Amino acid sequence: MEKVKLGGMKQSLELCQFDLKGPDYPERIVPRISKLLASRKINIAFLTYSKLNNESHQLTICLNQCDFTRSSGILNTEGTLPKGWEIQSREHVGILTVYPHHAPVKIIGSVMVLFATQSLPIYGIATSLSAVSFITDYRSIDKGSEVIQNSFQLPDDHAPIRPELIYYQSDEVKRGKGN
Amino acid sequence: METIAVYWESRIKTYGFQRIPRLALIELSCPINSIKPMGEVFTRNDMQDLKAPFIAAQESDRGLSFVFCLPEKEGTAFHAFLEQTNMPTSHRYIYPVGIIFFHGPHFGDRYGIAETTFSAISKEGIEVIASGCAASSVYLILAQDDLDRAEQVLTKTFEVAK
Repeated sequence: MEKVKLGGMKQSLELCQFDLKGPDYPERIVPRISKLLASRKINIAFLTYSKLNNESHQLTICLNQCDFTRSSGILNTEGTLPKGWEIQSREHVGILTVYPHHAPVKIIGSVMVLFATQSLPIYGIATSLSAVSFITDYRSIDKGSEVIQNSFQLPDDHAPIRPELIYYQSDEVKRGKGN
Repeated sequence: METIAVYWESRIKTYGFQRIPRLALIELSCPINSIKPMGEVFTRNDMQDLKAPFIAAQESDRGLSFVFCLPEKEGTAFHAFLEQTNMPTSHRYIYPVGIIFFHGPHFGDRYGIAETTFSAISKEGIEVIASGCAASSVYLILAQDDLDRAEQVLTKTFEVAK
């Protein structure tokens, strides 16, 4: 059977994940948290927000792993989150992004089946115009890449899957990995 | 190899705003032990033609909670299909919603993009129903009637590269 073609795939650097859940609140949680992190020059590499079935809101963000301790301290400081909001965190996650030519629903379904079969977790998903991103354990990200490579057809001249270029936005140019 | 990029922009540049109006939003919660069968549902042949401009999933208490945005007709059919399945899922249908989305250089690598976006939208009193920021893209799912105001405020806030 012919494999489904992908336009590409790439892995993120090592990230951490925070899930914030709580009731509706007059001061919206997303501007509040994103402002707080931007004021500390902490990049949000991935974000999803939605209002869930039970009327609670959920904000999921992924940040660089090197910012985990600092971010955890900020987010867990009393008064940062509105009353009734809870926070859960997870260190050492990574994002696998695939670039499908079409049919993102089928790609998502296929990856769900493949990952479930291999006991690889999926902690979040988001699509954009040309990409589908999956959050998984960073320690399993190579295995996830391998599973996808074995099940889909990538171009022969595929670019490196692991990140080779690191970008920073800073008032001070820094070299090396992380901060 | 190493590349260091430092952005200094008085207004953050984007490649422009795009809108997708008149969509249906379907929320779907899938228990952890149903992720594989739900994945199998998504790979069915009749699901291949679904043109979903936005999909997101978050880890919820006992599984994954999905948000699908689909054109109205496909959304109605998808919703009806979910009601017929025996999957242990719960779901909800909202119509009409719209998407406004935009991209920019290295948006995923730079702090302050989300803050600029959500602060501007919030100050205008626009409620975000759902959102996804991945790779270099920002997607905002809004009530259909809020699309014009959102585009106006974002156009004032960001600079559209020419």
